Amino acid sequence: MRRAQEIADEEHSMATIGELSSAFEGIASMRIAQIKNQVLESQDFFNELWNIYRQIAVDPTFGYGRKKSEKKVIEKGLFIAITAEGSFSGDIDEKLITWMLKEFDPAKHDIIVIGHHGALQLAQHDISFKRYYKLPEKDQNINVEPIIQEVEQYQDTTVYYQSYVSLMVQDVKRITLGKAVEDQGKRSKTKDDIINESTYIFEPSTYAVVNHLERSMMQIALSQVIFNSKLAQYASRFRAMSSAHTKADDSLEELHTLYNRARRANKDERLKEIINGLHKLRSTT
Amino acid sequence: MAAHQDASTGAISAESVAAKPADARHPVMHVKVYSPFKTYFDESADSISAVNATGPFDILPRHHNFMTLLSAGELIIRQGTVQHKIRISRGVMHVKANQVIVFLDV
Repeated sequence: MRRAQEIADEEHSMATIGELSSAFEGIASMRIAQIKNQVLESQDFFNELWNIYRQIAVDPTFGYGRKKSEKKVIEKGLFIAITAEGSFSGDIDEKLITWMLKEFDPAKHDIIVIGHHGALQLAQHDISFKRYYKLPEKDQNINVEPIIQEVEQYQDTTVYYQSYVSLMVQDVKRITLGKAVEDQGKRSKTKDDIINESTYIFEPSTYAVVNHLERSMMQIALSQVIFNSKLAQYASRFRAMSSAHTKADDSLEELHTLYNRARRANKDERLKEIINGLHKLRSTT
Repeated sequence: MAAHQDASTGAISAESVAAKPADARHPVMHVKVYSPFKTYFDESADSISAVNATGPFDILPRHHNFMTLLSAGELIIRQGTVQHKIRISRGVMHVKANQVIVFLDV
């Protein structure tokens, strides 16, 4: 039988673990609410930009910000993998990397990885990547411009990311960046006005404005995918903390019962000793 | 009196400037200045000044439809005797039918 003091110490540590996991659970839940709110706000902004873009009567296809540009396009596809920074993300990053590698052909694709965990996974598979970026720590105003500059050089870009389904369910998804922009645009109500050089003054030029808008919308779309990924990571952390909290509560209850039993056994032992002592005293007298 | 805000930090400062009194009868336009996560200004105004690749320019009510890429500098929005200054790094301005929308951080 363990000593009561030993069990009391363990009970105290377990209570601290329970409080900590509860605090982390609260932080993750708060971050989830904040990010959801930001995604909604940036969606309004995107919709207004999209409306203007769609009214400008130039080429109807999405041009990745390089319409009428003389820059040479790399005849390859670009894969962007958005993974967690730490290794507390369970097996979801592994699932994501495995899925991406099934489609990957070094002769046809280049990889940019966001998040240290994804970079480690790729290194373990002996796959080299073009660039690695840290997953932004802050949940607002993230700067994706360097990635968009890379995207502009490639024929097309596919993003692999963790997706938030609900607090308890996270999944991996894949989307081409041009389609992500167009899908977001479809959600907005487009006005029927036409913007062209006969009705508007453009400075410096129509194509410069259109390319800038395309780049901006790609930045917002990519930011939103990163936010979605972070949302999934916070949800995964919330789930882990929630389960740790429940386990800590269960252990605490078990330890408390053990502690009571140990104390009672202690008291019984002492009582036995006293009674035995009394018996001995009586028999000697 | 002028309100002064930095679009990158959000810090607001105030300074006194001599501005002409607004004529109550003269037309105004609606100006909205915002970024994906923050609205800096969303009210009626008498004029707005900014800088693009060609140089500094002003937008007054009844301006022709106009779209431009903004350069780094200060956006100055005049509202009667009040001047609102917003420091920007870049943006897009869209002017149509007395409605001015400035998209920041894009």
